[in-house]
Amino acid sequence: MELTAPVSLRLGHSATIRRRQHALILGAVLIVALGLLPLPIHDVYTQNLIILTLLFAGLAQAWNILGGYCGQISLGHALYFGIGGYVSTLLYLRLGIPPTLGMFVGGAFGAMAALLVGWPCFRLSGHYYAIATVVIGEIGYLLFLNWDFVGGANGLYIPFKGESLIALQFRTSKLPFHYAALIYAAACWFIAWVVEGSRYGFAWRAVKDDVVAARSLAVRIFPSKMLAAALSGLLTGIGGAIYAQYVGYLDPESMMSGTLSILIALPAVLGGVGTLWGPLLGAAVLTPVSELLRSYLGGSGRGVDLMFYGALIMAVSLARPAGLVSLFVWPGQAKLRRRRGDAA
Amino acid sequence: MTFHVVAQVALSGLLMGLIYALVAAGLSLIFGLMDVVNFAHGELLMVAMFATFVIFQATGLDPLLQLPLVAILLFGLGVAIYRGLIARALSVQFNRGMVQIFVTFGLAIFLRGAVQFVFGGDFRSISGSLLGDRTLHLFGLFVPLPQMAAGIASLIAFAGLLLISRTEFGKALEATREDRDAVALIGIDRNKIFALGWGLGAATVGVAGALLAGFYYISPNVGANFALIAYVTVALGGFGSLLGALVAGLLIGLVEAMTALFLEPSLKQVGVYAVYLLVLMLRPRGLFGTI
Amino acid sequence: MIRLVLLAASALLFAASAAQAADDVLIGAIYPLTGGGSQAGLDAKTALTVEADVINGNHNIPGLLGKGGGLPHMGGAKIKIIFADHQGDPQKARAEAERLITQEHVVAIIGSYQSSTAATISQVTDRYEIPYLSADNSSPTLTRRGLKWIFRTTPHDEMFSEVMFQFIKDMGIKTGHPAKSVSVIYEDTLFGSDSSAVQKKLAEAAGIKVVGDIRYRASSPSLSTEVQRLQAANADVVLPSSYTSDAILMVKGMNDLGYKPGAIIAQDAGFLEPNFLNAVGPLADGVLSRSSFSLDATASRPVIAPLNALYSSLAGRPLSDAAAREIVGLQVLADAIDRAGSTKPEDIRKALIATNIPGDQTLMPWKGIKFDETGQNILGTPVIMQVKDGVYHTVWPDDVATVKPVWNVK
Repeated sequence: MELTAPVSLRLGHSATIRRRQHALILGAVLIVALGLLPLPIHDVYTQNLIILTLLFAGLAQAWNILGGYCGQISLGHALYFGIGGYVSTLLYLRLGIPPTLGMFVGGAFGAMAALLVGWPCFRLSGHYYAIATVVIGEIGYLLFLNWDFVGGANGLYIPFKGESLIALQFRTSKLPFHYAALIYAAACWFIAWVVEGSRYGFAWRAVKDDVVAARSLAVRIFPSKMLAAALSGLLTGIGGAIYAQYVGYLDPESMMSGTLSILIALPAVLGGVGTLWGPLLGAAVLTPVSELLRSYLGGSGRGVDLMFYGALIMAVSLARPAGLVSLFVWPGQAKLRRRRGDAA
Repeated sequence: MTFHVVAQVALSGLLMGLIYALVAAGLSLIFGLMDVVNFAHGELLMVAMFATFVIFQATGLDPLLQLPLVAILLFGLGVAIYRGLIARALSVQFNRGMVQIFVTFGLAIFLRGAVQFVFGGDFRSISGSLLGDRTLHLFGLFVPLPQMAAGIASLIAFAGLLLISRTEFGKALEATREDRDAVALIGIDRNKIFALGWGLGAATVGVAGALLAGFYYISPNVGANFALIAYVTVALGGFGSLLGALVAGLLIGLVEAMTALFLEPSLKQVGVYAVYLLVLMLRPRGLFGTI
Repeated sequence: MIRLVLLAASALLFAASAAQAADDVLIGAIYPLTGGGSQAGLDAKTALTVEADVINGNHNIPGLLGKGGGLPHMGGAKIKIIFADHQGDPQKARAEAERLITQEHVVAIIGSYQSSTAATISQVTDRYEIPYLSADNSSPTLTRRGLKWIFRTTPHDEMFSEVMFQFIKDMGIKTGHPAKSVSVIYEDTLFGSDSSAVQKKLAEAAGIKVVGDIRYRASSPSLSTEVQRLQAANADVVLPSSYTSDAILMVKGMNDLGYKPGAIIAQDAGFLEPNFLNAVGPLADGVLSRSSFSLDATASRPVIAPLNALYSSLAGRPLSDAAAREIVGLQVLADAIDRAGSTKPEDIRKALIATNIPGDQTLMPWKGIKFDETGQNILGTPVIMQVKDGVYHTVWPDDVATVKPVWNVK
């Protein structure tokens, strides 16, 4: 379905191309920098922090494809994360299939789940859709908790069988996981970049801004939403598989809980929903903050770390509703926004 | 599975459903009024329970007698939250929908931490209240008194909310809900209505909290147990509909109990969610939803 | 002049820190200090703080290391506990374990309440080759994964359940009213599923019919239907595995329905918690529970009185079962470090393997502490307790019982 973008959407077209080229360059630079980052760092705690940040940057970006660009706020994404992790782990434990392959199968299952969820739910509006995703996430969690085949409440334990790159198992070194997480985050970012500039990206922005007008552009909304869901589910599932192998233990509580769903969406929202850099920025701020708060303030058991974390979320939401990316406005962007009449 | 057992379970389910309905009513009010998803609703319930506990410890005043007091306290808290946070959230230029989801989410975490800071993580409970642990024997069924009182109070609260909807204030609420931009034309101060709406919503959940404190345990994390059911109840009943909240609450309480009885208790919530999703497929705006 | 002062100050600081370093043996403790299990986590913190104080100070109480003054074979080196919060999340537990080992340089780790967190902590400790002392994780599988650095002082759920069935059999013989049927009711997370699986197996082996098998959603708003099903099943003995909040709802729910089973034998956890007793008051009378610890065994365990005094002055309530297990866990760990005479992990591990402490050197009613080749203490002998007038008393086995059990099975 070829979309002939009208003049209004193509205004600032050359500026957009330049912006996207800049983004690509910046992305490449970042990847190299992050690739070199862990080499001087030998402190395991910091390494872990960076890996978690990268994973969540990827997960948030995956969420962003559906929630940010496509406007469908899913608060049940942990379902795809958990499915990806469980499928990959079960393939490894029961059939010996290494997670480097299993993660893609896990991702595929995540994509399928996202399609199954999207199909009946996309016709629901705003809040109804959000709550439906929460409910479906909960159903997934409860089903897994009561299903012996996936280990139920006991969870699945991944025994350490010796160092292996294919099986993503390493004694104490975190370096390989760092690169796995980096590649993952980069892939998610890149796919978001591609999507943003594609005709689907245009279509979704049109849909997000004004569904009625978008229809008049002969945009087929539903199939494009399904595509967003599939992509989002796929990437989230792969992230789940990597995480499962990293932690070495899965149970429904840690892989599919409602809180996890919020934690996946939060960096994207606070960083800047529907933007390319928002999820990365959000993850880079939130993950270290929450880990450090817990490690250094949680020990008292007085809930001080929770108070700080909650206050931070409130403050950023209110002070920077467009996300933390709005702190970084480069020349031309403000003009571009005004011309596009951005008020979403 | 005798009739007796089914009847007893149905009764427990309905009584619990009335509590769900009351928790949901406050949420529905706020939703309906300004399209705000209050993710801190469970925590408001928790704060109300702690307030009841503290007042009981300090004065020995029975939770039932505390209802007006806790309602007023929570009313104040609701107005304060609106003025301090929500008003700001509503006036942002971007992503209004998401900002208020996550602002209230942050508030929820903050409240949990704050309460744990003050009270510690212990479970508390109110023992020695007027109706505590007493059961009535009616028609061969056991009717626990605190739950029954809660159920009756819930119905009274709904009646009260219905009355309020008939007053000037209630009509202003309705008008603001219908068209929040136009009401300024007829002299209604939107901000004031929103603040009062929040206060009323919080007061309603405050009453629910005071009632629950009579027979439930109290801890900083207790809000989470009721929060999701409340959202589902509101969505099932239809955002903005008080009658919807009542009907949905009763329905959910019943379905939950019956699923636990006939199927698997650990999946009782799945039963509720399945019913919810089914209804939503047929009526995307909930049973009585008008938004 | 200033340089002299600075030099002197830095010399003093260096001396102080060096002296500090020589004295302190760092042990990491990972518990849920915030989140759902924070009540248990904070109690653990109090318990460990008390025991460390006993070892380091001069409270001079009976039992192993009770004299105080630090570790005798290490020149009076003091135990210093570094607490970390895992919030009940296995990933965070792992991160904290790694942080404690690599940044804080602890020589051993003790923990951790929830068995799911112990799963990841023990993985870390095995990889870094640091001892992990599991003071209170009860899942049997923890010591069955071929790990070399985990040592568990507490009995696990299978051992506990075996004791419960021994008690049931004994009661049947003594009173002439044997139990012919049981109902298991358990929460749907790791604790419940482990516990109930063992109980069902043991019931079958003992020829007792399992008439009720009710798995319920933890932290539900209401358990009245679940209790209804219990009542309908009408077993002689009810075996619940629940945490505190659910235990409260269950017992209240039974009262609401006028249901009084012949015997309720709980799998500890929520049922032994003081908060549970406070919440349900007289409704708890007659409830039985397995327990690792006997608060009233003061005759055979004189150290209980002073330890309880120390603990309750900080916690505001008497020693709980979990707190007692944490105390003895630290005691055993400290003793091993002391016997090793060094802070090298391999030395500590050898000392732990050689552990053989008689029960009366501790506050526990156990035969003693001795680890088998999987790291499990095989001399931990649980007891059965029963609530009478709002307080738990030890009722079985006979050699430690302080009151006679009440058995209402018909």
